[in-house]
Amino acid sequence: MIRSVIKTTLPILFGFLPLGIAFGILFQELGYPWYFATLMGICVYAGAAQFMAVGMLGAGVGLFEIAISTFFLNSRHLFYGLALLNSFGAWGLRKFYLIFGLTDETYALMTTIKVPQEFNRERYYFLITLFSQSYWVLGCSIGALASSSLNFNTEGMDFAATALFTVLLIEQWLKVRKPLPFVVAFGSSCLALILFFQHMLLAAIVLSITTIIVLRFIKSKKND
Amino acid sequence: MTDISYLLLVMVVMTVATYATRLTPFLLFSRDQERALINFIAKNTPPMIMTILVIYMLKGVNYLSFEGVYTFIAILATVVFHLYKRNALLSIIAGTAVYMIAVQI
Repeated sequence: MIRSVIKTTLPILFGFLPLGIAFGILFQELGYPWYFATLMGICVYAGAAQFMAVGMLGAGVGLFEIAISTFFLNSRHLFYGLALLNSFGAWGLRKFYLIFGLTDETYALMTTIKVPQEFNRERYYFLITLFSQSYWVLGCSIGALASSSLNFNTEGMDFAATALFTVLLIEQWLKVRKPLPFVVAFGSSCLALILFFQHMLLAAIVLSITTIIVLRFIKSKKND
Repeated sequence: MTDISYLLLVMVVMTVATYATRLTPFLLFSRDQERALINFIAKNTPPMIMTILVIYMLKGVNYLSFEGVYTFIAILATVVFHLYKRNALLSIIAGTAVYMIAVQI
């Protein structure tokens, strides 16, 4: 099972490692001991929010503002859980961890891949989450530790995330084979890019879910 | 307040705020709850969010520079590889390698 999980999460490794390293290097400029970057990767475990935090820590922003900003920056996760309500098994420590470790990348994997039949689904998801977070924590630590002496040129490696989402999009198409959700999402994204460039991600998610619900409502009215 | 305690407080606050976004839907809706609308949303969000995530990743690209060309070629490589072999890992490695080589030389 571990070999299969490593193979499945390898794209996440390519995405998280350079991004984590970038975070570690940036974090180091604040002047804290390196292991706080590690700690942040373990406790907070949110890419965009951690980058935002570096700026806010540097500026000494108040805790309340940090709490609100973090919540809104990550609020797209509110919608991720909806698709996974029945996938994480019974309440318990494992489920709490699976929810804690829900990121764009693990969400994308879990909703698209098929868990090989011989493995228990919840254990498989648990390992996906655990490995992904390990890559992230490793990246944060390496970046903070070796911020001045890093030689390997990772430029462009972050394209792995784009490639991962592209592949999963193709897989979604092969699975769903109905144009409607893709068209709705594409339209919502374009509108969100025009209206809310900075907050495009959340705006597009809210817009597309609203649109598809309205479309469903109209359709059911017609049928009545 | 010393610097370290400020940092630790920020981390606690951020941990709670992030976890709240991830935990809320699981607390609001119980599993096995047969609600037509929730099921409908659950079924339709993955394809929609995948579409949005791809566009989101591409929004920062400067399309009037070489970056735009490289991105286009790398995406094309990823898609072609994937349709041809249907091996996710291979497609992602191929696309990323194409992109890294393009931006580094």
